[in-house]
Amino acid sequence: MIIHIDMDSFYASVEVREHPELARQPVAVGGSATGRGVVAAANYEARKFGVRSAMPMTMALRHCPQLVCLPVNMPLYVEVSKQIHQIFNRYTSEIEPLSLDEAFLDVRASEKLFGSATSIARQIKQAIQNECGLIASAGVAPNKFVAKIASDIDKPDGYVVVEAEHMQDFLDPLPISRIWGVGKVTEAKLHQLGFRTIHDIRVQPVESLVQRFGKWGEHIHRLANGLDKREVVPDARAKSISAETTFAEDISNEDALLANLMQLTEQVAARCRHHGFEGKTVNLKMRYHDFRTLTRSKTLTMPTNQTEQIWQTAKQLLLKQSRTQPDPVRLLGVGVSGFRGETVQQGDLFAENDVLSPDAGAASENRYVELDRISDEINQRFGKAKIHRGRARN
Amino acid sequence: MKFQIQREDLLIPLQKIIGAVEKRQTMPALSNILIKADKDKISLTATDLEIELVTTLNMVADEAGDTTLPARKLLDICKALPEESSISITVDSNKAMIKSGRSRFSLSTLPAEDFPSLDSINTVAEFELPQTTLKELIDKTSFAMALQDVRYYLNGLLLEVSTGLIRAVATDGHRLAYCEKQADCDLAEIKQVIVPRKGIQELVRLLEDSEEPLKIFLGSNHIRIEVGNIRFTSKLIDGRFPDYNRVIPEDGKNRIIADRENLRQALVRASILSNEKYRGIRLVVEGDILLLQAQNPDQEEADVEVEVNYTGDTLEIGFNVNYMLDVLNVTDASTVQSTLRDSNSSCLMTYPDHPDCKYVIMPMRL
Repeated sequence: MIIHIDMDSFYASVEVREHPELARQPVAVGGSATGRGVVAAANYEARKFGVRSAMPMTMALRHCPQLVCLPVNMPLYVEVSKQIHQIFNRYTSEIEPLSLDEAFLDVRASEKLFGSATSIARQIKQAIQNECGLIASAGVAPNKFVAKIASDIDKPDGYVVVEAEHMQDFLDPLPISRIWGVGKVTEAKLHQLGFRTIHDIRVQPVESLVQRFGKWGEHIHRLANGLDKREVVPDARAKSISAETTFAEDISNEDALLANLMQLTEQVAARCRHHGFEGKTVNLKMRYHDFRTLTRSKTLTMPTNQTEQIWQTAKQLLLKQSRTQPDPVRLLGVGVSGFRGETVQQGDLFAENDVLSPDAGAASENRYVELDRISDEINQRFGKAKIHRGRARN
Repeated sequence: MKFQIQREDLLIPLQKIIGAVEKRQTMPALSNILIKADKDKISLTATDLEIELVTTLNMVADEAGDTTLPARKLLDICKALPEESSISITVDSNKAMIKSGRSRFSLSTLPAEDFPSLDSINTVAEFELPQTTLKELIDKTSFAMALQDVRYYLNGLLLEVSTGLIRAVATDGHRLAYCEKQADCDLAEIKQVIVPRKGIQELVRLLEDSEEPLKIFLGSNHIRIEVGNIRFTSKLIDGRFPDYNRVIPEDGKNRIIADRENLRQALVRASILSNEKYRGIRLVVEGDILLLQAQNPDQEEADVEVEVNYTGDTLEIGFNVNYMLDVLNVTDASTVQSTLRDSNSSCLMTYPDHPDCKYVIMPMRL
């Protein structure tokens, strides 16, 4: 079984834990209201007033004038997230973190040692509450797709187990928006076709979905049938690191695509740096409005995790593709693969900025390394807010 | 076309030129060799369009003419015939008849007109050099050439000719090999050419440790070398070789002087337990002891000590052990000197007895 653990209003809950006087008060973490700050996270008290993530702080205050606004304290959340991961680690090493507050755990190999998956999920929830003073929601199911829905469906403090034999009963009545990758636009499209629940998709012949949506049609049909073969991949063992985004509206404007590509590239490069990975291949993924999906890749001379290098390569791939096929794009993704093994780094005689001697060439490339270091630092402090600003722009 | 020839007179030249024939071909004619029979000589040509090897046999043909024959098959037939047997080759329309003793072979031919040939190369400079000088330049450096690097200009050997001096430089970006020799050449300006890897490999097979001179012709896009009865021509890599002077370090303050053979054997011993893929080895030098440490992914470890003559601070540095062994393997010098600046900077290896070679190795972080 797979467990999905999702912390309830993570940043806000950590702040409330640090400031016990704030308990039962509406709290939002994010940028300042005097600037153009947005809400990075809000606790459930604040949500009752309609405060949502990504909402400008000024608007949040209009919804809820007594809202307590706190600045983002990223180093603290990172610290707490590490603690939570240590709890996961007691039960399994098969942990795939999705973000600071969310992870998949594959406990199939641990059940003999620690009891059933349902019991492990309960123990983890309990340990997070006892040791970190925080509430997590847990979903337990035979695969990632269903586990993620399960953890979300009974939030906050959720605990939902979906056994294999009840999976279809669980999925069937759910609205299609529960399917990964179904956003507002796709939802509307599916509604037009008369699909409202997962059941509606499941009973469709797969051919008709393929005809309309291509390969993606086959994919959602499989999910609707509770079939998801994706493995839990611990980041440390990942063969590639990637990020993708489905747009609220299809985009054909090249500048808009590039702006999104830049954001994705920053995320991917920062994750590579975080894990100390350097990849040799840059991959671009594009899904067009008609669900045609293609990938393009380019291999570099030397492995890298510099944002600038990955960006230049990804940009080239995108421009080449968008000029041959300037159709509206619904999904854009970028990834890095072909990681250099272990931590052995062979010095390069001609690299302006050699891996081994950062002082060798005070030349141009050093600026990018410095830029990456600073941007990683900023990200650590304002990480989520930044991601939200990006989404808000769409 | 018709001629008689003794097995060895055909087999040995064939073996010298066969390397130019690629196993996989884009043009059918390229898997053949061109045979041209004139009044008083017969020439054999093999090419892959990048390099061309022509060998000329001074002999009289019964009947002049030209054709192309499947190279490998012809070679295999010659090899399989008894020593010192006599072979007769007769070409008629599109078949060649090869007879020797009681064996007969009928080979298919392709017209000689279809065979690409590189006759004129626009020579801009020419000079002579003892065979052994060119052989040594290549032997001491070619191991460092890159293999299929995207920096295509590294996939070959740089030959730099100036007045009285010829230099060979090869690098794969991780290490560099440099060798210079006096030469009887007088060029108006320094001339640099990059000979592709395959050309170097074929060329070195033709060279012997002899003082016999060979002739070098430099063209704008080709290099041609005439050695004995063989003419070697190679296209040049059209690119700029990196400025090697920039990466050969000045004398550093930490200097290890070691007996070459002792050091080589110690490295071989320690390398048994180095990571098979990355070949990393740690060097720790303190006082007059050089400690070599290797560790593999199974956490097995090797510690090997070598006595050296060291001047400098205590230092720890990692290298790909193969890069060091490559340098130690191409010489018979008795002592080797390694000069280091610090753990992150390149190492300069030289032989005090043979100051004409320099080797630079970048460290690896272990």
